[in-house]
Amino acid sequence: MREAWVVGAASNRFGKMAETAREAATRVGLEAIRSAGLEPKDIGYTFVANCFGISEHQAHVGPLINNGLGIPSVPSVSLESACSSSSAALHEAFVHVAGGFADAALVIGAERLSHLDTLAATSYFAIAADYPYETKNGATFPGLYATLASAYAAEYRTTPEMFGAIAIKNHANAARNPHAHFQKELSMSTYLASPMVAAPLRLYDCCPFSDGAAAVVVAAKEFVRSPATEPLVIRASARAGAVTDMHDRPDLLGLPSTRRAAELAFRQAHLAPKDVDFLEVHDCFTIAEALALEDLGFFPKGTAARESAEGVTARDGRLPVNPSGGLKAKGHPVSATGASQVVEIFEQVNGRATGREVPRTETALAHNVGATGGSCSVHIFSRR
Amino acid sequence: MTEPVPEAPHSIGAFVRGYEEEQRLRGFRCPACGHVTATWGLACARCGHAGLAEFALGTTGRVVARTVIAVSADEFLNDTPYAYVVVELDGGGRATGWVPSIRAETDLPIGTRVRFRPSYKPGVQFEKEPA
Repeated sequence: MREAWVVGAASNRFGKMAETAREAATRVGLEAIRSAGLEPKDIGYTFVANCFGISEHQAHVGPLINNGLGIPSVPSVSLESACSSSSAALHEAFVHVAGGFADAALVIGAERLSHLDTLAATSYFAIAADYPYETKNGATFPGLYATLASAYAAEYRTTPEMFGAIAIKNHANAARNPHAHFQKELSMSTYLASPMVAAPLRLYDCCPFSDGAAAVVVAAKEFVRSPATEPLVIRASARAGAVTDMHDRPDLLGLPSTRRAAELAFRQAHLAPKDVDFLEVHDCFTIAEALALEDLGFFPKGTAARESAEGVTARDGRLPVNPSGGLKAKGHPVSATGASQVVEIFEQVNGRATGREVPRTETALAHNVGATGGSCSVHIFSRR
Repeated sequence: MTEPVPEAPHSIGAFVRGYEEEQRLRGFRCPACGHVTATWGLACARCGHAGLAEFALGTTGRVVARTVIAVSADEFLNDTPYAYVVVELDGGGRATGWVPSIRAETDLPIGTRVRFRPSYKPGVQFEKEPA
C-alpha cells in the first residue's frame, strides 16, 4: 500500500444554491482539481455522493459530472451512505490510490434540498432510518437523535445549557466561515427560547437543511504538484457499521460504529487521541457532538457536554472541535458534509481559515456518521 | 454441499399485518444467544447465528427512551405532538412505537409502563397502562 494524499479541496457556500447539485458538483470539482495544481485529465476515477439526487429527478450523476469536466471516459460511481456518503467516497478514493488502482481520484459530495419544503425534507431524511420499524412508527431524523439525547440526559443529569454551549460555540465558528450556512452568533437566551422540534431537542440543537457541494482530490505522492499548497497525508481511513434500530442497540448512550471506526483509525495511524490537534465531528444535533467526542475517545462517557460548556472545545480551547461551525452551523448538505470536513482541515492547515484559525494543525481527525450511526467514517490527516 | 439459506419465520409485511390486523407484535428469537428482536433478518444481529425462530413479543413494557415530536414526517402530520418511544417489553426484547397525545416529556417519564394499543393509525401504537 502506498501513501495517499489530499492535494486539493474546495467548497461552495452552504445554504441555498441557485445551481442544481450536478452543476455545483462539477464547479467545486474543477475548483478542487485546480487547487491541487492539476487538470481534469489527471483524474483517474470520480467518486460521487448525492444521495437525495432523486429529489432533483437525477440519478447516475457521476458520468454527467465527468462530461462537464471534459473527462467523459473517466469511470465514476455514486455512493450512498446517508449523511456519511462523501466520507464513504473519500474512503473509496483512498483505497483506489493507496492500492495503486488510480493515481489521482476526485471525491465530490453535493446536495440540493432547498426546493423541498420542511415536510418533504423531513420525510426524505426519515427514510434513511429503518422505514418499516422506525419511520412508520413516527420517527424523524431529529426524533431519533432526541431519543438518544433523552437517554443521555437521564443517565448523566445534563442540562439544556450544556447542549446550548455546543450550539453557541459552533455558531461562533461558522460566523467566521465564508462557506457556512449560518454566519451569525447565537446567544443562550435565543437558544433556550427556540421551539422544541423533538424534545429535548430545540430548533437550535438541530442542523439546518442546506444545499451545498464540496470536493477533495486524493492522489499519490507524485501528484503533489502545487507549490502553493500544503498537502495532507491520509494517516487513516476507516469505516464501520452498527445496528441501526434504536430498539436493537445494546445501549443508547453512544454510537458503536463511531467507537469501532475510531479504534480502527487510531490503530491504522499508530496514533492516539492525545496526538490529534483539532477535529471536525458529525454534529447533526448538539447531542451528536457530545456522543462523538466520547465515542472517539477524547472524553470519558457522560462528560463531553459538560466539558464543552467549560470551553474546552472552543477554537482557543484545549481541543478545538468543529472550527468550521460543524453541521450545526456551517450546514448539512447531506452528501457534501463529509468532504466539507476535509475542506476545513485543508484550509486550516494551509492558513486559509482566516479569522477562525486553530492554534495547532499538525494532525486532524474527521468523523462523519451515516444517519443515526448505521455507518461511520473516521479519517486522520497529518502534514507531510 | 453448502448449507441451505434459512427462511425467516415471517416477513416484514407479516409484522405489519400483525400489528395492523391481528393485534399482535411478531418478533424473532435467536436460538443460539437468546436475543429477541422485532426487526426482520435471516441471522441474529447480536451473535451472527443464521436461522431465527418466531417469537411472540410481549405487548406490555416500560419506556426506556422517548422524544416528543413536534415536527413530523408526512404520515404523522395530523398527530403532532406525539411521543416516539423505545419500550423494554415484558418477556424480552424491545420495540419501537409511538404514543399519541403526549405534549411534553413530563407527560411520559422514562420508566412509564405502557401497553400495545391496536389502532387504525399507522405504526405500533402504545398507551400508558392505567395506574
